[in-house]
Amino acid sequence: MVMKKLDKRLIRTIGHSKGQFISLVVVVIVALIVYVSFSMIAEQMYNSIFQYYRETNFAHIFVDVSRIPGNSVDELLEIEGVDQVQGRIVFDVPLRVEDPNEKVNARIISDPGTEDQINSLFILEGEGPSPGTRTTAVLKQFFVGRDMKLGDTIRPYIGGTEYSLQVVGEVGSPEYIYLMENEQTLLPDEKGFGVIYVPEEFAQSAFGFQGSYNNIVVTVDEEHVNRMDIIADEIEDRLDRFGVRSVITRENHMSHSVMIQEVDSLEMMSTSITVMFLFVAAVIISIMLSRIVRKDRIAIGVLKGLGYDNRQILMHYVKYSLAIGLVGSILGVLLSVPVADMLSGVYIQYMNIPLFTGAFDIRYLFYGTLLTSVFCIASGVFGARSALKITPADAMRPETPKAGSRMWIEGFKALWQRLTFSWKMVLRNISRTKRRAFFLVLGIALTYAVTMLPVFMSTIWNTLFDRQYTQLQKMDYSIDFNIPVERNALLELQQLTDIEFIEPKVELPFELVEGWRKETINVIGVQRDTIMYGFRTASGRQIELPSKGIVLTDILARQLQVQAGDTIQINSVLPGKSDKTIQVKAVVEQYFGKNAYMDIEQMYDILEERDIATGALLMTDADVVPDLKDVKNIRGISSVQDMRDAIMEYMDLIIASMGTMMIFGGVIGFAIVYNITIVSISERMMEFSSLRVLGFDKKDIFRLVTRENAIMTVFGIILGVPLGYSICVGLVDYVSTDMYTIPAVIEPFVYVYSAAATLVFVFVAQLATYRKITNLNFIDALKNRIS
Amino acid sequence: MSENILLKAENLSKIYRMGEVTVAAVKNVDIEIVKGEFAVILGPSGSGKSTLLNILGGMDQPTEGNVTMNGESIVGFNDKKLTAYRRDKVGFVFQFYNLMGTLTARENVELATELCEDALDIDEVLETVGLGDRKDHFPSQMSGGEQQRVAIARAVAKNADLLLCDEPTGALDFETGIKILALLRDINKKYRKTVVIITHNVPIGDMGDRVIKMRSGEIIEIKENENPIDPERIVW
Repeated sequence: MVMKKLDKRLIRTIGHSKGQFISLVVVVIVALIVYVSFSMIAEQMYNSIFQYYRETNFAHIFVDVSRIPGNSVDELLEIEGVDQVQGRIVFDVPLRVEDPNEKVNARIISDPGTEDQINSLFILEGEGPSPGTRTTAVLKQFFVGRDMKLGDTIRPYIGGTEYSLQVVGEVGSPEYIYLMENEQTLLPDEKGFGVIYVPEEFAQSAFGFQGSYNNIVVTVDEEHVNRMDIIADEIEDRLDRFGVRSVITRENHMSHSVMIQEVDSLEMMSTSITVMFLFVAAVIISIMLSRIVRKDRIAIGVLKGLGYDNRQILMHYVKYSLAIGLVGSILGVLLSVPVADMLSGVYIQYMNIPLFTGAFDIRYLFYGTLLTSVFCIASGVFGARSALKITPADAMRPETPKAGSRMWIEGFKALWQRLTFSWKMVLRNISRTKRRAFFLVLGIALTYAVTMLPVFMSTIWNTLFDRQYTQLQKMDYSIDFNIPVERNALLELQQLTDIEFIEPKVELPFELVEGWRKETINVIGVQRDTIMYGFRTASGRQIELPSKGIVLTDILARQLQVQAGDTIQINSVLPGKSDKTIQVKAVVEQYFGKNAYMDIEQMYDILEERDIATGALLMTDADVVPDLKDVKNIRGISSVQDMRDAIMEYMDLIIASMGTMMIFGGVIGFAIVYNITIVSISERMMEFSSLRVLGFDKKDIFRLVTRENAIMTVFGIILGVPLGYSICVGLVDYVSTDMYTIPAVIEPFVYVYSAAATLVFVFVAQLATYRKITNLNFIDALKNRIS
Repeated sequence: MSENILLKAENLSKIYRMGEVTVAAVKNVDIEIVKGEFAVILGPSGSGKSTLLNILGGMDQPTEGNVTMNGESIVGFNDKKLTAYRRDKVGFVFQFYNLMGTLTARENVELATELCEDALDIDEVLETVGLGDRKDHFPSQMSGGEQQRVAIARAVAKNADLLLCDEPTGALDFETGIKILALLRDINKKYRKTVVIITHNVPIGDMGDRVIKMRSGEIIEIKENENPIDPERIVW
């Protein structure tokens, strides 16, 4: 088919505005890649998570108890809606490894070895632990993290005895798609913590739990799934006498909620970044097209004179934006294949969903292309619609000059008169094209905000660590015992290792109740004059523990909807203890995990036991792990330094995603500043030509345009500060979960860095327009009526 | 006689309203254009001749009066019908040629013929206007006269009955202007097209079969020219 001449004209027009075309195509490409790869992975991840759950019969409810006999577990089947129940032994124990300085903890979970079990193991290699043997199957992350092989031996240290278990399998589990030791570690440490599955009878004998369990998993009938909370409450009531430590529904399960949040944030990113980019592209396209239409006024008149109708003419211009959409879509589609592949790779590596393959889904290419095309066509029609109003006879007449008027700034005579001629021109021009100037300011503000986000994010970890581990938790180590000890026994620790300060703690689970809201959390009792904690309220005020009453962390207070001064009920989860009421004395900030704190003396009163400790808090410069490794009663040692190190392992990933966000900011900033400047230059050809005749040189003209953009940039950055601030705070709000919050503290240098980056983007775009000015043929522009 | 009339305007007025002020660009004009004739509308700038031409060509609508083409009124045509009228019945030649800068000479002509069903052979028309060897040049590579030839080829190739030329020599030097006028006369003869030229250049009137003089929006004289002279003999 022969190409229509109008289409040929279009292609040549595009050829003459390559820079603009390419910059817009890049914006569309980014939008499409983000949309295709993020939404595709989000959907696949969501589907594969639930497919995985189905295949492994993932539990709906998880219960921790002190001890429960096997037959009492089965009684839970009487509850309406409960489908299956299964008792387990779950304990965290130290693992003996070659390097005595290395601290490795393993969670031992008993495996009943039956068919049709809850949370069945997903065998990746080898087999599950066989009953009657000392074998173990190791969770994949740990298996890989510690570089294990089938046939290796691992040595858990249980109640003072070191056992040898042969590794017979590498497995996946829906319970640990995302593996964290506890809520306070935040990030996985695949070398330092893992899960191992052992035969049930081995676990029972090693932990002294013959015929009984300390953990129950429950599945709920399909039709009762929406009654989950009620069923969980009923389970809790029934198990009261067995010392319920926690009842967690799947919704609040750590791994599950992390996964769902990941899916949600992928979807949010996919939507917000795509919409932002397409919106920016759409606004630029419509500004550019409306400029082209204005410039083509006579050509449009001629076309109409020749007998072209409105539809054909409108289509001619809309095809320009459609071309941007299509070229952007095609390249975006081609590029989104490797990007999605790379991104899936990252998720396959970090997420451990064996059924997640990251296979490419062709539907998203279709959706993406449709989305970008619709945006481009709509902006094209919007921008070119004025072509419809041009009548052929009017088009032949010269355009009437724009009505000029004085600006408000001219009212300040003293100021106005001081300005040089070229500054006056700059200001007049800005006021003449207010809408476009506004968009430019908005665009620069957006660039600033998009750039600020990664700069802010890069500071989060530092702030978080500073707040959590320097200001709140000042200890270097926190030790937990298997069995509570006498306070005096802590002195023994001091003899084993070099400790600067040591304090006892009593950390026990309690159920806090306010009305119908309740949360089971660890309440930590420490000395009133503790030097291990520095409690601060949201306003930053330091407080001391009260002698009577309880202090809640902010996440917990929010969930219970209580504030300082309220009275809540505190129920011991241990059997046979009576429930009490207690006053909330203060709400303090804590970023990871939720806890409550009280004076250890008051804890003793509640427990009706004196001078015990369930753990110890240490301040020391020494590495205490090797010194304490033979202490039977130590269940776990957590070290602040280890947590810092774990985070550092993720720094690469964080830097990569930051870099990507920066590039996004740069693309937006460049596209906006470059295109708007080009439009402005082409519109003012006559004006610039006249100035050239008057004796301005190219640099003077470039300076004129630069000054205009400089003013816009200043305003853009001023507007960008609150915009960036709200985006950062919004993000912090969005990613904060039941498990952690991120302090919305934006350091002053974040604003400065973002401004510097924005200036660089604007400067580069400005430089790119310089060629346009030097290449303008001023004499031609003056000679021809048609520019 | 009446079956020979291609275009007829009756009591035609065009009034522009600008706020309080009304300006009558064309006032009570009556004219007839006969099929196959070469008509010249003469008048100083501001006399309303371009407005009249625009109305006759379906580019603008009159405030009052009627225009008929082959007996059919074009006044009150909706946008679609008016577009079809411009497409099928009229060819325009403008003072500033108004070619598409990004299309070659041939492509500029094709731009017009793509719309028409029985367009003339493009190469033949380009040959006729003397651009046989320049057809792949872009407007920026051509002189003013050559550009105007492309514009004429564009109007002619559509094979419309009526050619309306708005100051076709206005932007050209004397010699080139004469050549363009001769070309228009040849087209008038060779393709039997009705040609209407508007100009402020009085001597051009001598080459017309009919000369219509305008001033201040009104027709002041219509003269049948028994012996139109050859364009080559015109001097200004």
